[in-house]
Amino acid sequence: MIGYDNHGIDLAGIDDSDSDSEFEKEDKDDQDDGNDSEDEIDVDDLSISGSEDEENMRALTRIRETINNKDALLASLKRIALDVTPGVVPFAVHQSVVAPATTESAMGDAAVDDDLARELAFMNQAMGAARTARALLRKEGVPFTRPVDYFAETLRSDATMELVKAKMVEEATAKKASAEARKLRDLKKFGKQIQVAKQQERAKEKREVLSKIDQLKKKRKEGASAALGANEAEDMFDVAVDNELGDSSKGKKRSAGGDSGGRPNKRVKKDTKFGYGGKKRHAKSGDATSSGDLSAFSAKRMKSTGGGRPGGAGGKPGGGGGHKAPRLGKSRRKVAGRK
Amino acid sequence: MAAVYKTLSKPGAKDADGDKNGSGTPGAKRNKQKVLILSSRGVTYRHRHLLNDLAAMLPHSRKDVKFDSKSKLYQLNELAELYNCNNVMFFEARKGKDLYIWFSKVPNGPTVKFHAQNLHTMEELHFTGNCLKGSRPVLSFDLAFEQEPHLKVIKELFLHMFGVPQGARKSKPFIDHVMGFSVVDGKIWIRNYEVREVEKTKGEGEDEKEADKAGKTKAGSEKETDVSLVEIGPRFVLTPIVIQEGAFGGPIIHENKRFVSPNQVRSDLRRSKAGRHNARAEQQRDHLAKRGNLGLLPSGAAKTVDALDTRAVFA
Repeated sequence: MIGYDNHGIDLAGIDDSDSDSEFEKEDKDDQDDGNDSEDEIDVDDLSISGSEDEENMRALTRIRETINNKDALLASLKRIALDVTPGVVPFAVHQSVVAPATTESAMGDAAVDDDLARELAFMNQAMGAARTARALLRKEGVPFTRPVDYFAETLRSDATMELVKAKMVEEATAKKASAEARKLRDLKKFGKQIQVAKQQERAKEKREVLSKIDQLKKKRKEGASAALGANEAEDMFDVAVDNELGDSSKGKKRSAGGDSGGRPNKRVKKDTKFGYGGKKRHAKSGDATSSGDLSAFSAKRMKSTGGGRPGGAGGKPGGGGGHKAPRLGKSRRKVAGRK
Repeated sequence: MAAVYKTLSKPGAKDADGDKNGSGTPGAKRNKQKVLILSSRGVTYRHRHLLNDLAAMLPHSRKDVKFDSKSKLYQLNELAELYNCNNVMFFEARKGKDLYIWFSKVPNGPTVKFHAQNLHTMEELHFTGNCLKGSRPVLSFDLAFEQEPHLKVIKELFLHMFGVPQGARKSKPFIDHVMGFSVVDGKIWIRNYEVREVEKTKGEGEDEKEADKAGKTKAGSEKETDVSLVEIGPRFVLTPIVIQEGAFGGPIIHENKRFVSPNQVRSDLRRSKAGRHNARAEQQRDHLAKRGNLGLLPSGAAKTVDALDTRAVFA
């Protein structure tokens, strides 16, 4: 390109060369474009089908002479033409049918790219021809339909037809399989929904039953305040309902948690044994009341041999009576002591 | 037209195609056609398969080996004569992708050159139709073929080449397929359908009723059946390019103005891609020029203030 040459030569004026060379280059390109477009003109014109556009183009540009020598065409046609005059020449000689309408008119305003419309038009044309031909050939007594027992080589081999059949079967099975899979998928999705709905329904039912029972209880209570006579029966009803509810809803919890406020049984026991909260120091030291409390003291027990601490420091082992009562548990001893 | 031809055919039969119309008497005129089918070198598998499909459909054809030359096509005339063919269907492949098909009546022409597009062979189209090998097709032509002289010539060639002559050696006695030739968008679309006879279903539409009437009047006591079509293949589209008066030679008597060569299409595509760069470069240049005029370029001198400048006038 000229621009690059300038770069090489005009090193001194390198500042200017930038813009200049740019211009020159573009100018050159422009010229190229001009030449190209002149070459292209024919093609552009060729690709345009509209007649007014053609006229415009013709006015603007040079155009290749169109050759359509109708006389010569008709002359050469006459030279080779077969005689297909209907009525004179039997149809069976040529078997050609000219459609009553052009395919373009049959296609209407559908575009050429519209595969379906186009193929339909083609098929309709061929269908019309087939019907006409069949009628004409039958009239002429030419066999048309292939008898069922006529076997001969076909255009497409059996292997090809087998392939076609296999492909069709494959397509059908694929379609069926995909439909089935979709159905399953839908079912799965739907099944989940069903499950959730069922759970919700159950919960709702339960809530309703409970609320109904509560209402019933309330109503009974109100009725009870009015008529005291039925008190006992109502209590029984309440107990029954409570039991029922407790059994159904909280049975498990109650067995695990014990009576007191849901705390575990062991804790409760330990609490009663060791106490909880408050000061721990001096809790077991005696005070005025404890020293004044002589409830645990009994002279009888002091005198009896089986009493007191068994095997205690001061006690005689295996004393006196021979028959020794077994030592009871602490609480029972306490109770016994009170007596 | 045909009547005129009939009157002229007697003297013309001697100098023109002698073997075309066998005997001289018009009553016993025989349609004798034989087609030489061959391709050039450099055809793709698809071109070759299409050629094979066509050869299989035409029992009156003679398939030959690939023809070596692309420039000396007149040699095909001698070749055809050698095989006693009066038609030549020559597949010329270019650049390993474009297919041109020449249809020629051999000794005296005319010759039509087509550009073949949208080729789909019988094998790759998984249509369910099938027909007897060598059965005579019904040729279905669009009405457009009767409206233009060049299309008339093309129709005649199709009639000779695709129509299997009556009593051809390997032809079958029944008719079970239709070849459709339609003109849409300046191109000739070729389809091949199997004709199946089906039980007539009642009250399907006007077409059926019409066919009913036709059946009653023409078929008479024949069983009441209707035809249905199932496509067989192949499919292809031919764009006529030129018609020559002779066989692979002679003056051009028709040229399709709307034909755009595939080379041109490809180069246009490439050029439109290159055009994007050009447009961008041009924009850049305009921008530079504008800045230069305003004296904003670092190298350029400040804009000279002439006598009619706004600043000078309204000073």
